[in-house]
Amino acid sequence: MNDDPGSKPAVRVRGLRRTYGQGHTAYEAVRGVDLDVPAGSITALLGTNGAGKTSTLEVVEGLAPATAGEVSVLGLHPVADRAAIRRRTGVLLQRSGFSGDLTVRETLRQWSGTLTSPRPVDEMLGLLSLEDRADVRMLALSGGETRRVDLAGALMGDPELVILDEPTTGLDPESRRAVWRLVEGLRERGATVLITTHYLEEAETLADRLEIMHAGQIVRSGTPTEIAKGHPSTISFAGALEVPGDLAGVTRVVHEHGRTRLETAALQRSVTDLMVWAAHHEIELADFDARSPSLESVFLAIADGRDPEPSPLVAEGSLR
Amino acid sequence: MTSGQFSITRTANLARWNLVLLTRNRLAFVYAVVMPLLPLLLLLTGDRGAPSVGASAITTMLLVVGLFPVYYNVLAQFVSRRDELVLKRMRTGEVRDAELVASIALPGVASALAMSVLAVPVAVALDQELPVNALLYLAGAVLAVVMFSAFAFWTAAWTRSAESAQLTSLPIIFIVSFGPLFTSIPGLPDVLRDLAELTPGSAMSEMVRVGWFGLDGQDATKTTLDFAETWSAAAGPLVVMVAWTLIAISLARRSMRWEPRS
Repeated sequence: MNDDPGSKPAVRVRGLRRTYGQGHTAYEAVRGVDLDVPAGSITALLGTNGAGKTSTLEVVEGLAPATAGEVSVLGLHPVADRAAIRRRTGVLLQRSGFSGDLTVRETLRQWSGTLTSPRPVDEMLGLLSLEDRADVRMLALSGGETRRVDLAGALMGDPELVILDEPTTGLDPESRRAVWRLVEGLRERGATVLITTHYLEEAETLADRLEIMHAGQIVRSGTPTEIAKGHPSTISFAGALEVPGDLAGVTRVVHEHGRTRLETAALQRSVTDLMVWAAHHEIELADFDARSPSLESVFLAIADGRDPEPSPLVAEGSLR
Repeated sequence: MTSGQFSITRTANLARWNLVLLTRNRLAFVYAVVMPLLPLLLLLTGDRGAPSVGASAITTMLLVVGLFPVYYNVLAQFVSRRDELVLKRMRTGEVRDAELVASIALPGVASALAMSVLAVPVAVALDQELPVNALLYLAGAVLAVVMFSAFAFWTAAWTRSAESAQLTSLPIIFIVSFGPLFTSIPGLPDVLRDLAELTPGSAMSEMVRVGWFGLDGQDATKTTLDFAETWSAAAGPLVVMVAWTLIAISLARRSMRWEPRS
C-alpha cells in the first residue's frame, strides 16, 4: 500500500480558507492552512476547541467546499473525485448519528452493504470489543459504545487513509487506550492516519507528526520533540516565594494557583542556583518539581496567545 | 448530486434497512400501509358500482397513497435521518447522494404502488369494471409517486425537524387536495376551473377518471371513452403532472441539505 513513504503526501492542503456566513456576520474559521500528511504516518491536528480542526477536516473529507485554497486527497480532488476517494478512505466524524431502532450488528450490516470490499461484520465487532452488544439497539448504547460502532464503520472498508475527528472524546481511559492500539495497528498495516485531538497525551503518544492549530491557522509543525525544543523548561514549588532575580537561565517567574513557577533556558544551572539559595536561607521548597520542555507548555503558551511566533529553533523542525 | 454510476445493489440494501426501520416505528407503519387502504371503503358507498363513485374512491386512494406513504413519510424519514446526522455519516462512505435519496423514497413508493395495484381486484370485487386502460392508470400511479417523492425532498429543504414537518407539509397537502375538491363544486366560473385543473391533485383525478373509468370530462358520469381514446384524453393531465414533477425535482436539487442547520 505504501512502498515508498517518501513519495507524495496522502493529504496536501495549501492556503485553505473557510468562511461561514456572509457580510458582517461572516466568520472565518480556517485562515490559510497549509498541511501535508505523509503517507504511512500518523499525523495529529492538535488544537483547542474552536481552533478550526473540524472545519479543516470537513473540506478534506469532501463534505464542505473550501472558500479558498487547494486540497488534494490521495492525489485526487475531494469533491470532484469523491467516488474514487471514498473507496480508499475511512472517516470518523466528530459528531455523527445512527438510527436508534437498528441493533449494533444490523447497523454494521447496513454499512457493510454500501462498501466495495468490507471486512466481515463479526471481525469488526471483535476488533472493537462489541460482541456482547451486537444485538442491542443503538439507542440503548452508551456514548463510548456508540463511538466504537462509529469507528468500526470507519475502518470496515480497510481504508488506506483514515481520518479520525476526535476519536476518543467521551471514552473512558481504558477504551481510549484500546483506540490508540487500534490506530497504531492501522499504521502497521501501512495506512495513513490523520487524527484530531485536544488531548496532548494522545497526540504525544500516537503522532509521528503534529500540527498545532490555533485561531484558524497552523502555528507549529513537527515531531513532538521538535516542537517542544527551544521552549523553556519549568521549575515549580508550592507557595508564593520571592526568589532572587539573578538565578542562572531563569527567564520568567510566575505566581499562580498557589505555586511559584520559574521558566528557564538552562534547567540544570537554574536548579543548582535555586537549591544553593534555598539552603543558604534555610528555605524548604515543598512539592518541588522540575521538568524539561513538554508539549503541554508549548500548547498552553499557544492557547494563551503568549507565543504567536515560532522561535528559530522550532522553525528548523517545521515543514515550512 | 454526485455523478457517476448509480448502484442498484447499494440502493436496494439501504432501502431494505429503511423498510426494517419503517416496520419498527408503529406510527410510520400505520401511515405507510394502513391509511392508504381506508379510502377503498368509499367503494361501498352511494350508487355501488357506478363509475363516478369508483372514480372518486380511486382518486382519493391515490391521493392518500401519494400523501401518506410517499410524501409525508419520505419527508419525515429524510428530515429525521438528517437531524440524527445519519445522512452526514452515510455521505462519508461510498454511497452516492442519489442512492441515499432513492433508498429513503423506495419503501413508501413500493407501498403506494402495491396499494394502487391492489385497488384493481378490490374495486372489481365491489362491482366496479376493470380499468379501460390499465397501462395508463399504472403510468399515472408511477408518475404520482415520483411527483410526491420530489415534493417531499423539496419540502425537506425548508423543514427543520421531523416535528416541524407537520407544519411545513401543509402547503403541499393543501395544493394537492384542493384541486379535486374545487372542481367538484358545481357552477364554478370557468377561469377558476381551468386554474384548478393545473393543480397536481386535479391532474391525478383526471388521470384516474380517463384511464380507469373512460370518463370524458369533469362532469361525465358514464363510460364513453375506449382504450385508444383514453391516450389523447389523458395528455393534458399527464403534462401537468410531469411539469409539477420537473419543477419539484429542480427545486429539490438546488436546495438539498444533508445536515441540520448549525
